[in-house]
Amino acid sequence: MPVAVRRTRPRSARLLVISLISASLAIITLDYRQGADGPLASLGRVARSTMAPLQSAVTAVTEPVGDFFSGLANLPSLADENERLVNEVDDLRTKVAVFAEQERELETLYDLLGLTQLHPSAVPAVVIGNGVSNFDWSITIDKGAADGLAVDMPVVTGTPEAPRLVGKIVSITDHSADVQLVIDRDYAVAGTLSDPREVGLIVGQGEQDLRMDLITPGTAIDVEAGSVEVFTVSYQVHGEEGLYPPGLLIGTVSRVFEDANDLQTAVSVRPAVDFSSLDFVLVLMTARPQEPAS
Amino acid sequence: MTRRIVVIAGVVVVALLLQSTVFADLRLLGVRPELVFLVTVAVAITEGPSEGAVVGFAGGLAQDFLLNQPKGITALTLTLLGYVIGLSRAYITSPSPLLPTALVAVGTAAGLLFYSVVATLLGVFDQSVTYAVKVIVLASLYNAVLTPIVYPALRRMVEGTRPRRVVRF
Repeated sequence: MPVAVRRTRPRSARLLVISLISASLAIITLDYRQGADGPLASLGRVARSTMAPLQSAVTAVTEPVGDFFSGLANLPSLADENERLVNEVDDLRTKVAVFAEQERELETLYDLLGLTQLHPSAVPAVVIGNGVSNFDWSITIDKGAADGLAVDMPVVTGTPEAPRLVGKIVSITDHSADVQLVIDRDYAVAGTLSDPREVGLIVGQGEQDLRMDLITPGTAIDVEAGSVEVFTVSYQVHGEEGLYPPGLLIGTVSRVFEDANDLQTAVSVRPAVDFSSLDFVLVLMTARPQEPAS
Repeated sequence: MTRRIVVIAGVVVVALLLQSTVFADLRLLGVRPELVFLVTVAVAITEGPSEGAVVGFAGGLAQDFLLNQPKGITALTLTLLGYVIGLSRAYITSPSPLLPTALVAVGTAAGLLFYSVVATLLGVFDQSVTYAVKVIVLASLYNAVLTPIVYPALRRMVEGTRPRRVVRF
């Protein structure tokens, strides 16, 4: 066997490893300094746009399998759920008829007032990837710049009438986009409570519930009495509007923190979206002026 | 040689694909396996430190490019991991069939710990300590469980592409 090779190996291996480590360090430094505009970021976009169709194919094949397993886990409650849903569908059918009428009225009024922000058009997208690392709370969707999407657009799930906030687009290629989830620790969004109309800042906490800070101290929030919901809120800073149209459901308050020094009230918010089973999402084409996608 | 590169690159791409799709649904208490770590350790065991380092670098870089985080940290981690595991092979003579599993578990844990520390030092690691520990423990365990299933196939594939003739240089 290769005895001769063995003898020379340690030195060449060491040299190889040293150069690879230097290369890694160079990449870390370069990327750190250049941020989202450098050549490495463009290379990343190329890598993602090549992966997207593959992810899309794998998801198409494996999704029924995944659904089967999650269905299996929920089997006992399915019959009950079915009955409940049938009743609910009847209820909703009547409501839809009423709402359609109201919607038309509302639209006429919005047109009269020149409001557009409240009803941004929505582009449906399929979730094709779920992030690649344990330290990354993001999903990949199958629509991109070619479909009119842009960075910072809000992503929701549910119907356009009752949207629940999923996250926002953070990076984009022609035919795919990465969505940072609202539970990411870098994510922050302004929100308002449903019962006392108090505003605050909602920050992602990874796998734990979201945290809503900066609520006016002394606000009485009664979690026992009924569910207190948290919605996005519209605001303007220096004439610039926030990213989110108002009224997107973020979650429900799960617990109120007792703050000893009483400088602010903070609550814990359970997200309205089950991020582990997201298959379809809607991207809201907010009318906010966007930088042209490169 | 070309065939070897193609096979190993294929393995890395498949690992990344599975990790971002199938294993995002098949989590162990909320944590998915770190398949590229697993592939790196497996190649390092069968092929040695140089190959381990190269595969770790390439696989880590590929994973980095799919992340929204500063690139290069996974590449650095896996280069070192592949090299160290490849070297350690010369010092371990245990014929136990559980050896790869143990090395994968230890390697994944050490790699993830190293990654967390480097990312923290660079100020880009925004996870809580409890979550980081949970990921390190569960991902290593998950990888270890997958090893007996994945390792034999991986080994056969990689060994099959070894150059037939030994070149002396």
